[in-house]
Amino acid sequence: MINVSIRTDLYYVGNIYDLDKLIRILRETYGRRLQGYKYYGGKVTWGEINGISDLPLSVEDYVEPGLYRLREGYRFRHSSVSPKLFLLPSKQIYIVESNDFSQAKVLDYNVSIQYVLFGIKPCDLNAINVLDRMIGEKNPVYAHRRRSISAIIVEECLEPNNNCFCGVMNSGPFVEKDFDIAYARLDDKRVIFKYGSSFGRDVLSKLELRIAGEKEVYEYLEKTKLARERTSAVFKKSMKEIQESLMNKARDKELWLKISENCVGCGNCNFVCPTCFCLEFDYSINGEDQGVKIANWTGCLLYSYGQVAGGHFRPELYTRYRHFILHKFVFYPRQIERLGCVGCGRCITWCPMSIDLRECVNNAISG
Amino acid sequence: MQVVNLIEVLKSKKAIVVRTIDEAPGVKTFALKLSGEYDIKPGQFSMLYYWGIGEAPISLANLPLKTGSSTIIEHTVRSTGVVTNTIVENARIGSVLGVRGPYGKGWPLEKHENMNIVIVAGGIGLAPLRPVIKYIEKNREKYKDVYLLYGARTPADMLYKYEHESYSRMPGVKVLLSSDVRVEGWSHHVGFVTDLVKYVDVRTEETVAYVCGPEVMMRVAVKKLLDKGFRKDNIFLSLERRMRCGVGICGTCQFGHYFVCRDGPVFSYSEIEDYLWIEGV
Repeated sequence: MINVSIRTDLYYVGNIYDLDKLIRILRETYGRRLQGYKYYGGKVTWGEINGISDLPLSVEDYVEPGLYRLREGYRFRHSSVSPKLFLLPSKQIYIVESNDFSQAKVLDYNVSIQYVLFGIKPCDLNAINVLDRMIGEKNPVYAHRRRSISAIIVEECLEPNNNCFCGVMNSGPFVEKDFDIAYARLDDKRVIFKYGSSFGRDVLSKLELRIAGEKEVYEYLEKTKLARERTSAVFKKSMKEIQESLMNKARDKELWLKISENCVGCGNCNFVCPTCFCLEFDYSINGEDQGVKIANWTGCLLYSYGQVAGGHFRPELYTRYRHFILHKFVFYPRQIERLGCVGCGRCITWCPMSIDLRECVNNAISG
Repeated sequence: MQVVNLIEVLKSKKAIVVRTIDEAPGVKTFALKLSGEYDIKPGQFSMLYYWGIGEAPISLANLPLKTGSSTIIEHTVRSTGVVTNTIVENARIGSVLGVRGPYGKGWPLEKHENMNIVIVAGGIGLAPLRPVIKYIEKNREKYKDVYLLYGARTPADMLYKYEHESYSRMPGVKVLLSSDVRVEGWSHHVGFVTDLVKYVDVRTEETVAYVCGPEVMMRVAVKKLLDKGFRKDNIFLSLERRMRCGVGICGTCQFGHYFVCRDGPVFSYSEIEDYLWIEGV
């Protein structure tokens, strides 16, 4: 399953202080600005990375369905945010128009800075690929922000958390393409690096790391393999069977009522999902001559999803919950030829009712 | 690759109301004058923007009229929600509305030359089909027999009443009307518009059906048309969903794997047969 050759010269080993060096080189030598998971005020949020103290290096997330705790450790996997926060912000100020429509201007989307995404996860990288295909050039806010990303540095997961299922979704826990540099923490000190582009190779060469020993590469590959296996043993059927089964059972109202019986329609899953992209437009008048169109996040679990003036196409919660699952597993492949779920498990972790997507899919396809 | 300019995507054009027509209780048609070209086709829609209040997706209700350096389009609006209510109540001759579009795929009229056309419309659903009738009127020789089956809750709720006679005067065009409820003086069918499908007398293999109305009505229409022998890919439906952007980025108009604003609003039945019968998909 893992197509990485055992050539040790592709890997380099350093320690966590080399991450600091890496940040400095990108900032100072290449003049880039870094965005990533930022440890701030006891939480891991999203923001600008200026140095090693911004990285969540000495915390790890403990998760269960409906539970998230940050504790001491060195295996940070997820927080409720994702690169979506940068690429497709929750409030996108779109356009300001005068009341005779003679003047219009666009605010806050033209990013001319060259950014580097630092320390995003393999599932995040795949989520960006999903958004690229789904939104791509069509949403100018996304397009401009996406273009401002000049390099991507991924932190691979050697020990996924309890809610991770990236393996079965073919989105992790390691990366093989579309990145510049990837690193993984072998333990709390040693970090193994690889490059995925010529830019990545150039940058890595400046770190003056030592080439990995055979034992270290073996250790890395073994841990990767185990992590992949752990995140792959999730569903009772193959993905193809799951998709067929979900579609066949789409009309079974009783089944979906049962599956969604604990859902309260809060939309947390939509907001933490790194691939959910739905937007709701909001209109207001700002000052004398400014009509503002703003796009905010919305989600298919919210009541208003499918509501129109004089009617509602999804008034019952089960239809909206069903859309969440069908979209990720069946409709995304029909729309963009890849699954819409990357198996990050955020929707499970941040569900206030502890609903486990994996269980729901298994329930939907069994029997 | 050139990034699409946001201004071009989501900026509304200035449209001046040049005429309003009261169609039915709470329903008005607005003729809007835009400067320059606005190349909208039957079945496509615009986002009508009442400045500062909001936008609503409204289908084209007449063929666009190009006059010199401007274009006049018509949209029929039923007062249903905040935006449409504001437009219907407030917009009058000289008012300025915002228009962006055209969006979506329209009726494949050009593909259906030399065929019979059966139009089935319910209530406000006649609005997106009116430009079809107008197009046929203009290009009468290109199409064979035409049926217009139109029904509304009451005769008073019908749109374009002042034109129905002119439709039936067109050669080879049969107009069959229906009112859901019995009303004094109504000489046409009483019942659902879909009841009228049985009066359609055409060779179904060379006939296409264009259907628009409430979704329940469209489902019944599809069943009856299929029973009559219509091919799945000869039945076309114009769907409604919650639409915000019009260009496939907001995601709220999803219907199965389709974005109704971009992939529709007109679909052939064969495209959507997986989804049409699933409640709330």
